[in-house]
Amino acid sequence: MKYYSIGDEDTVLGFGMVGVEGMIVNGEEEARNAFQTALKDKDVGIIIITERMAELIRDQVDQYIFTEKFPLILEIPDRIGRIEGKPGLREMVNTAIGVKL
Amino acid sequence: MRNVAPTKTNLLTLKHELKFAQLGYELLDQKRNILIIELLNLVDQAVDFQDRVDKSLFQAFRSFEEATLAMGKRKVVNLSSAVNIDTEIIIKHRKIMGVALPVVDTNFVDYSPFYSPLGTSFWIDSSVTGFKQALELMGKLAELKISIMRLAQEVRKTIRKVNALEKMAIPQLSETVDYIKNRLEENERDMFVLMKMVKDRLEKKKKGET
Repeated sequence: MKYYSIGDEDTVLGFGMVGVEGMIVNGEEEARNAFQTALKDKDVGIIIITERMAELIRDQVDQYIFTEKFPLILEIPDRIGRIEGKPGLREMVNTAIGVKL
Repeated sequence: MRNVAPTKTNLLTLKHELKFAQLGYELLDQKRNILIIELLNLVDQAVDFQDRVDKSLFQAFRSFEEATLAMGKRKVVNLSSAVNIDTEIIIKHRKIMGVALPVVDTNFVDYSPFYSPLGTSFWIDSSVTGFKQALELMGKLAELKISIMRLAQEVRKTIRKVNALEKMAIPQLSETVDYIKNRLEENERDMFVLMKMVKDRLEKKKKGET
């Protein structure tokens, strides 16, 4: 299996240098298309998507993370960094189970 | 309380049900605890990995930017096709309390690059290493993150079941069982008194005859 990256030019090029295929997207429509392409390829094990792009197609990404087994989806910060004010992992778990960790 | 006839058969089946519900409650409670412990474990690891991934990505992006500044984007794009690294991931599954969690292994097959070190910026090498490192960590991070999400979902389900048993099913059942028990005992006392009266009357009759 292999990785597949979706994101802005720098991200995809950067991961391209270490042998990861990817698609450069600018905007929602392209992101949606790229996501579908990645899902269709059965050899893709992990989809790397930049946070900003994931935010554009949040509905699709979330639906996929929670219902499907494959592929795994990982959101990474892009060149500029993480989106500020987004709840971290810990907060996510707290809200999910309603137990303070 | 359930609406059932207060008979001995019903009492027996309800008692059986109550026992079963209590057993289920205990098991689910244990499951919940195990899942939460596992979740806590994973969250700590994941936060740690996330920090490391962020750091190495930041480093990689910086190097990449420097490289494009030094050599121009077009050249960097050309060069990137000359880097020869194969990444291969193997995804397996492990199971915790019936939840399938992924386990990711990342392998690099690293051939020496096709470009000449002459005339290429140092930043190219640096960014290649940076991205490679990030990729390696990201496999693990993906594994942890997905595991956490699935575990959290399972925990939520289990908590709901535990609460349903604890707050609704078990109290209802035990209340019904108590009610039936009381009614049966009451009946028994009734019968006892009745028998006594009958006996008294019979004895009086005997005395009158003799």
